[in-house]
Amino acid sequence: MLNRLSTLIAICVVIALCLSALPLLAQTVPIDSDTFSGFQARSIGPAVMGGRIADIAAIHEGQRLTVYIGAASGGVWKSLDGGTTFKSVFDKQPTQSIGSIAIDPSNPQIVWVGTGESWVRNSVSVGTGLYRTRDGGDNWDLMGLADSEHISRVLIHPKDGNVVYACALGHLWNSNEERGVFKTTDGGKTWKKILYVDDKTGCAEMAMDPQQPDTLYAAMWQVRREPWTFTSGGPGSGLFKSTDGGATWHPIRKGFPDGDLGRIGVAVAASKPSRLYAVVEARNHTALFRSDDSGDSWTEVNNSFNVSGRPFYFARLAVDPNNPDRVYKPGFGLTVSDDAGKSFSAVFSTSDDSGGVHGDHHAVWINPKNSEEIFDGDDGGVYKSLDRGNHWRYLQSLPVAQFYHVSYDMERPYNVYGGLQDNGTWMGPSRAVGGIANRDWHNIGFGDGFWAFSDPTDPDTAYVEYQGGHISRLRKSTHEQKEIKPLPRANEPEFRFNWNSPIHVSPNHPGTIYIGAQFLFRSRDKGESWDRISPDLTTNDPDKQHQEKSGGLTIDNSDAERYETIYTISESPKNGDVIWAGTDDGNVQITRDGGKSWANVVKNIPSLPPHTWVSTIEAGHFDAGTAYATFDGHATGDMKTYVYKTTDYGQTWTALSTPDLKGYAHVVREDLINPNLLFVGTEFGLFLTVDGGKDWAQFTGKLPNVAVRDMAIQPRESDLLIATHGRGIYVLDDLTSLRAITPEILAQDVALLPARPAELALPAFEQRFDGDAEFVGRSLPETAPIVYYQKKRNIFGTLKIEIYDAQGNLVNTLQGDPRRGVSRVGWAERLKPPKVPPAASLVEQPFAFFGPQVEPGTYTIKLIKGKQTYAGKIDLVPDPRSNATTADLDLQHKAVMQLYDMLAQLTYVVDATVDLRDQVRQRAAQATSDRKLKAQLDKLAAQLEDFRSTLVSVKEGGMITGEHKLRENLGELYGGVNGYEGRPTQSQIERTAVLKKQLDDATAKFQDMSAKDVPAANTALAKSKLEALKVLSKDDWSKKQQ
Amino acid sequence: MFRKLCVSMVFVVLLAPAVLAQTVDEIVAKNIEARGGLDKIKSVQTMRATGKMEFGPMEAPGLYVQKRPDMARLDFTIQGLTATQAYDGKSGWAIMPFTGKKDPEAMTADDTKEMQEEADIDGPLVDYKAKGNQVELVGKEKVEGTDAYKLKVTLKNGDVKYIYIDSDSGLEIKEESKRMVRDTEQETETSLSDYREVNGLMYAFASQTGLKGSPQVQKLTIEKIELNVPVDDATFKMPAVAPKPAAAPAAKPDASKPEEKKEPPKN
Repeated sequence: MLNRLSTLIAICVVIALCLSALPLLAQTVPIDSDTFSGFQARSIGPAVMGGRIADIAAIHEGQRLTVYIGAASGGVWKSLDGGTTFKSVFDKQPTQSIGSIAIDPSNPQIVWVGTGESWVRNSVSVGTGLYRTRDGGDNWDLMGLADSEHISRVLIHPKDGNVVYACALGHLWNSNEERGVFKTTDGGKTWKKILYVDDKTGCAEMAMDPQQPDTLYAAMWQVRREPWTFTSGGPGSGLFKSTDGGATWHPIRKGFPDGDLGRIGVAVAASKPSRLYAVVEARNHTALFRSDDSGDSWTEVNNSFNVSGRPFYFARLAVDPNNPDRVYKPGFGLTVSDDAGKSFSAVFSTSDDSGGVHGDHHAVWINPKNSEEIFDGDDGGVYKSLDRGNHWRYLQSLPVAQFYHVSYDMERPYNVYGGLQDNGTWMGPSRAVGGIANRDWHNIGFGDGFWAFSDPTDPDTAYVEYQGGHISRLRKSTHEQKEIKPLPRANEPEFRFNWNSPIHVSPNHPGTIYIGAQFLFRSRDKGESWDRISPDLTTNDPDKQHQEKSGGLTIDNSDAERYETIYTISESPKNGDVIWAGTDDGNVQITRDGGKSWANVVKNIPSLPPHTWVSTIEAGHFDAGTAYATFDGHATGDMKTYVYKTTDYGQTWTALSTPDLKGYAHVVREDLINPNLLFVGTEFGLFLTVDGGKDWAQFTGKLPNVAVRDMAIQPRESDLLIATHGRGIYVLDDLTSLRAITPEILAQDVALLPARPAELALPAFEQRFDGDAEFVGRSLPETAPIVYYQKKRNIFGTLKIEIYDAQGNLVNTLQGDPRRGVSRVGWAERLKPPKVPPAASLVEQPFAFFGPQVEPGTYTIKLIKGKQTYAGKIDLVPDPRSNATTADLDLQHKAVMQLYDMLAQLTYVVDATVDLRDQVRQRAAQATSDRKLKAQLDKLAAQLEDFRSTLVSVKEGGMITGEHKLRENLGELYGGVNGYEGRPTQSQIERTAVLKKQLDDATAKFQDMSAKDVPAANTALAKSKLEALKVLSKDDWSKKQQ
Repeated sequence: MFRKLCVSMVFVVLLAPAVLAQTVDEIVAKNIEARGGLDKIKSVQTMRATGKMEFGPMEAPGLYVQKRPDMARLDFTIQGLTATQAYDGKSGWAIMPFTGKKDPEAMTADDTKEMQEEADIDGPLVDYKAKGNQVELVGKEKVEGTDAYKLKVTLKNGDVKYIYIDSDSGLEIKEESKRMVRDTEQETETSLSDYREVNGLMYAFASQTGLKGSPQVQKLTIEKIELNVPVDDATFKMPAVAPKPAAAPAAKPDASKPEEKKEPPKN
């Protein structure tokens, strides 16, 4: 029996070994996020404008204030200094859409985050459940409600952190059951649904009596969005109260209007918990109600514009924790009442010099220890006031911009362009000295911004738009804008432009642009005139064209639900007569004759539900018949990722999506060089494939799991520009290496990868002391990247990179990056720092710290991993902006190398002098019995020390002694010449000769002492049987420098 | 039936090591074993590492010396000026000669913390309980694509380190530190690689350290590690400040010759 069992085990082990060997035989290495995480995208912000803020929570830890900001689609940001600096703490979680943040009052390290914003506008994202950290945000656990999609509020029992309530709105776009009020009493291990109405109604707001925490109020809201409309209100809506910790609830509405209710916001006055305020949406009448009997009865107190406006979007109230009569109403503006809601006034400064505060307020936090201090979150970011809202400081440290689209121009450095949710259109540089700061960005359009393009024929011209197809042509230098929107002519119907109307710039015909309504328009003259080049390309369903009725109980006709429109346009780069148009109601239209005839080819797409929103069509760059398309069904509750490709003008389509893709798809882009390299942006991140779509991986190199709405590839630099809806713009520099990755490369243990020629940076810097409160985006590193791939992390043994010039000289050795997957190691393009002799203090010239920049050309690189060497090449080219001639650069190189060598020679002379001086001192200490010898040696030591003090500064005095010796003069001259890549001045060249003479004299003097004084001393030393002095030779010194 | 049994047994065989390695003490033991074993670790009385630090285009040769139980000293040289940071087991001090002042100065207790933590010659995991450190297993995480155990080490002084142990080799490949300096979090992260054997012990010869999330990193490349070379305790003690100003300049330590101290930084 034993025998048989052991045989069985042996067979099993053999099978196991065979199974584990299989992947090796097949030689395929699947890609994953970490295959590419060594490529790090640069966040360039900006934070000069923000993005929508959904919630703010704060707590005092000692004297300091800890603040958490919940961005609508940009994650959770934490400040430990009252809002001066922030760090993002939620990047690795699956969604960046935040609904509510709650800090455990018994332990501020415990924070709960309900994901899924509850300000459910058309562009709202989705959450993935309820999360908790126990260490202030370092680590997070999913605690449940994964299917709730939107969580409006989390409340924690003030005395018992294990008791937590979650107010879940549930699905916005379809019905579901994980909605209502949930309670845990065991810190989130188990949850009980304690208030539920139906699968169309969720919880929109909750409040707790701080003195009797078992008394709870919950606002239930029936709401539904569809692609063409939304409906707030219905029989499910209502306000409920519990006095037993949620075990039982009863509706409260005495004093509220009759009929269906919509969204309700409710707040308890902490300093007087019998006082409640509620903003209640009823049919065509939204108003503020007050209760002074703990909600049993209510009185309408105010229905001013800001109190009643847009109740689905503004349904919060903030009562001053120290004054029950003072209540703030976030809305279009922020208003406050000091008389318990009877009257309201705007809090903002009306002075002429006020910079203004963005509108559309959602979150207000009032410091319970100081009611003067207020944080306000709105569609434009976070503001802080220290005088109860009369004046505000904008926090320019949060890069949470919600871009819809991105494009570029061809300037040097090139600029990126894009439009944002409620923050207009902006342009900013892809690189800047010292980093890309807020001040580097320029506003070029207002409203909600979407597409923006620089005119390819005129760098001073750009096209921008705001919601509803309001396209303008902008003259950048003057900021003049000319509205160029196509307008209906006689006998034409009204044009239906999407909220986010597509603009497209022809890749074939300069000056040609497109815009889509239900018809496609083309202009050959930069928008001065338009040709309608298509019939209505949508399904034109009249039942889905009632934007004016959208909103439910309160009409909300903002263009945001305008439907039956063209949403995406793409002209084939290979043939200007091939144009694709995709519509929000699911049509994929193509013309192959410049718009004379059109065909809807969506029926050819397999496994795609009808009428699924076409989010992008991308015409292929390599042949006119190829195109890619993404579809987004989330507005009907379909969260699948749809990506397709056709190679025959849409006759047949192949699905490219695999289970590795997550989130509904916004955009697909094909690389400009390698057709197998594709990028897809979804609601949950950026995905890429290197084999044409068989195998996908999420790209996470410094990019959070944020919605990627659009991408563009800057063709000259091969940079991928990533428009995130919640974290601004990211730049993934240089796709050259990614283009080279093939399944064969991935199967190798180590492979060097190509990179674009590296520009030798023009030395530049700015002196600024801006403090810590502003975001600064990363500029392109001033290094030449050496790129390679490793199948496994290097843990044991050397991994280094040697760089050789054309003559085979070793120029530098760099430490390798050990990570698995691709690595980019930056070489600073300079020789080693110069040798500088020790002295009283540093040479202050900044470029004296760096070695000379190397010359342009091809360099050989050797990647050495243990005993293996992998050889490759990198090319360095001059910065194209340089105005230096070759002769200038030759002269500069010669001059800087002469000074570099002179510094080395000076260092040798000083080192040898000090070495000799110390030998002499040591012998003098031994020559105690021979007074004559000691005197001779003391004299020589003093002579050497005097000599040293003629070469280097010796006065110690905290940097400002002003002492300049040969070292300081030479160091500063070297730094000056080294800091400018161009012709040195005549003065610098002449000065070099002067210092050269001084250095030669010093060298001669040292040689003279070595030749005369040393032998004399050695003769005397020999007599006393003391060791002879030995002068350090240049050769020996050089060896020590290796 | 055979097939099913076989699959489940394979499952057990494959899972067994992972299941076994789930406790903190087993991961710590695996790490100690991977480093060379407790006896060898404990036999190290002194450690001297010679190498260079790089910050972008700048470079500084350096020398790091440690002595059991908890003394440490770092010397590094820029433009010929040698700076020193040291901890003698009780307090820290530094010489920062760059701005024309070469007197040793006492470091604040907070500024000493990093040195103090590194001075623990065996590392925080060895005898962690006796040292008053708490260690918990957060879970398994990928470090740049490599599976690692994430240990949360709460040091006796309250500061937190996350130590990532490569699940294959048992060696540490990454560390994140959160120190409280003037009651403010200072977060750094360090990646470790290029492990080589020195007298039967594994040391990382390459590391990259930076503020958490920052692209600016300081790279340290070690050229040589020597164990148990004699090092005088005085190396780590703050030198007496020379009397001012009447005293001869020669009485002051010369920047070119920090070797005059007991431990020579060679550069």
